[in-house]
Amino acid sequence: MTSPVPTIPDSDSDPMAPEFPPSSDSRLRRRLTGDRIVMRVVLAVFIVAVVWAWRHIEMSFGGLIAGIGDVRNLLGRMLPPKFSDLDDAIRLGFETLWMAVIGTTIAVVLSFPIALGAARNTTPHPAVMAVCRGVIVLSRAVPDLIFAAIFVRAIGIGVLPGVIALGLHSIGMVGKLFADAIEQTEKMPREAVTSVGASKWQAITTSVIPQAMPSFISTILYRLDINLRSSSVLGIVGAGGIGFLMQANLRSLQYDEALGVVSVIFVLITIMEFFSAAVRATLLGGDRTLVGRSVPKFSLGARIFSRFWSDRMKNDIGVRPFDREKIRPPWVGEVRMKTIYGLAFVALVVIAFRSVSLNPGELLGALPDVWKVTTRLFPPDFSTARDPIVDGIIESVAAALVATFMGAILSIPLGLMAARNVAFNRIVYSVSRLFLVLVRGIPELIIAVIFIAAIGLGPVPGTLALAFGTSGFLAKLIADAVEEINPIPREATFATGATKTQEIATSVIPQAMPAIVSNLLYALDINLRTSTILGIVGGGGIGFILFNALRVLQLRTVGAVLITIFVVVYSIELLSGWVRKRIL
Amino acid sequence: MTSPLPDNAVRVTGLSKKFPNGPLALDQVDLAVPKGQLLSLIGLSGSGKSTLLRHLHGLIPPSSGFVEVLGTNVVAAGRRELRELRRDVGFVFQSFGLVGRLTALENVLSGALGRLSGPRFGTLMYPKALRREALENLDRVGLGDRAFQRSDTLSGGQQQRVAIARTLMQRPKLLLADEPVASLDPESSAQVMDVLFRIVVEDQLTVICTLHQVELALGWAQRIVGLRDGQVVLDREVDNLDESAVMEVYRRVEPGRSTDASVEKPSVPSSPRVA
Repeated sequence: MTSPVPTIPDSDSDPMAPEFPPSSDSRLRRRLTGDRIVMRVVLAVFIVAVVWAWRHIEMSFGGLIAGIGDVRNLLGRMLPPKFSDLDDAIRLGFETLWMAVIGTTIAVVLSFPIALGAARNTTPHPAVMAVCRGVIVLSRAVPDLIFAAIFVRAIGIGVLPGVIALGLHSIGMVGKLFADAIEQTEKMPREAVTSVGASKWQAITTSVIPQAMPSFISTILYRLDINLRSSSVLGIVGAGGIGFLMQANLRSLQYDEALGVVSVIFVLITIMEFFSAAVRATLLGGDRTLVGRSVPKFSLGARIFSRFWSDRMKNDIGVRPFDREKIRPPWVGEVRMKTIYGLAFVALVVIAFRSVSLNPGELLGALPDVWKVTTRLFPPDFSTARDPIVDGIIESVAAALVATFMGAILSIPLGLMAARNVAFNRIVYSVSRLFLVLVRGIPELIIAVIFIAAIGLGPVPGTLALAFGTSGFLAKLIADAVEEINPIPREATFATGATKTQEIATSVIPQAMPAIVSNLLYALDINLRTSTILGIVGGGGIGFILFNALRVLQLRTVGAVLITIFVVVYSIELLSGWVRKRIL
Repeated sequence: MTSPLPDNAVRVTGLSKKFPNGPLALDQVDLAVPKGQLLSLIGLSGSGKSTLLRHLHGLIPPSSGFVEVLGTNVVAAGRRELRELRRDVGFVFQSFGLVGRLTALENVLSGALGRLSGPRFGTLMYPKALRREALENLDRVGLGDRAFQRSDTLSGGQQQRVAIARTLMQRPKLLLADEPVASLDPESSAQVMDVLFRIVVEDQLTVICTLHQVELALGWAQRIVGLRDGQVVLDREVDNLDESAVMEVYRRVEPGRSTDASVEKPSVPSSPRVA
């Protein structure tokens, strides 16, 4: 800069002028911006909260070590698994599967209009949008096991309350993901269709929905996987499925039998994952990029499938001969695949309804009862059980905090070891992956039931089970995130002569940090939901009061518990959403 | 304003548009386009070409001024009137606006939606007569044999030809094209412009087409209108037009730099009004 600027008093006006801070020490520190302060406060609050929670649920290192001994004992009594009533287990396993199919179908049918109402670009009116979003938030905040427990009281033991519970709870996720998919469609095709004079709904059906379709299908498959896990535990509250058999075995202390049932559940989940991977690969072949990386890498079934499937659909483009007289889509490639899958899905739903001897009429017939029991929850009665409710929810929050913390401690090294690009060697990588696959194949609540059988009732076994489940779930997400980081900075760090550990610390972890933090908050959300139902199986927290109140039919107290759960779960969700936005 | 002149397809008087927090995108634009004329709008990015075109289609409301298209007062038109007007006005977008997952034929068929009532899922929900018409329109753009190919597997030029076939389904009286070849390579551009030109001549359409490439504009338009900073700075028949007059429109471009170097999207903020 050669131009003389002596007359300008304010040095800021010369952008090229070097700015020397008052002391050289402060230049060595990064300036504390608002966001960094927020991040530190959040971290401090989290640590304080974990310490408080740790003491509150009376977790201790001694207890942990003793717990490991207990689990080892239990495993000794479980192995080898026994399959004396395998026929029963398989029959109930299929019932579980059909429940998941029906529950998911109910959710999809209900979610579709709700999502259209909740998406900003398709909603008919802001008021409709608010209502639809409210329904989504509500149904997501109440765990399906709680829905199931309430409906069992309303319509009796059986499959029916189970599928209604699965259906209603799934709206929370399916509706939200559908609405997101609708909002993420490109605007131009819709504008183009509008420009030919199409009405709003014509434009939506011809340009918006086809664009969102791959994402819809992906969501449905994903939810079917989740619902299979959920429906395998619904039997614990009498809502049908294989969970009942496992609970009965555990009650009669036949641990080896129980492990036999768990193995059946594991196989069932693996088979389902295999088919859902198959459907993804064939049906979504051409739309893989639209759907993103929602293909579960750590599912055994998906891995088995990928062993003998190579992308054949990729070559499926080019000129298709067709009949110029009829002008119908030629019966090849994607069209044939879609038709076959469509028919197969319809057949599956029909078989499902028949197998559990349920007809859609019965489903509708149960709605008045469901409605009646819902209205009897209101007005909520906080007075009869105020203290237990407060204690219970505090215990649930504490359990979720500790479980998330412990899960995080376990999952970060596990996740790094299970990431192909970081793992120290092939053996470490394979062992970690196998562990993740096994943990992911068993529903969390089943792990909780086993831990409680081993260690005894109370929040500690519940928390340990949650932590165990979290470590598998978080490690998977972290491994995914780590596998996607940019390799160039890593090479640069190596080039300076850093060791592998140094390199991981300076280039891998910082790059994966946003994903790790975001997934940690997500895990906290999920753990809080799960910890509210742990009490149903004896794992402490607010679920116990809920279950008791249900047993003696104090429905207005149940209403109070539900509202408490909703308020706490939803505020934690809002809080973690805020933190995520602020620090990432 | 007086009653519409029957032989003008488009009449714009004193049209101004100011976007919130933006510059004056259009400044007192007057323009009358007789029926059957092939008009090309040229100008730099951000000169107001796209904004002007969007006003003709009622996609955005003007700040002030009068817009009349095919005898309809666009400014005063309600939703229903706008929908009816849009049926008669074809619009070709720079980014094609095709649904990539649908077949070429399905995309072309969607051009007939203005004539139909109710939603449509899939090819077979359109009557056979329309399917035949759609196939014929694909033939006209030379893509008949690609009817059942997913449109995202077509090349850019082919996609734009599918988009042209879609507007043909409207049997438009007026065709508006917003940078139809800006995202295409020279060879595809020439092909698309050939197809477009042949069709507008055969169907005797009125065309308003914005273009970056002056050579293309000079090649087929009858009349060139140049915009700069939202004002009309050039309006002449191509026959008595020389290079220097055109360069005047692009005055701020440094000498020696090609005029079609700036092919990025116009930076005009737009808020499409979806009726």
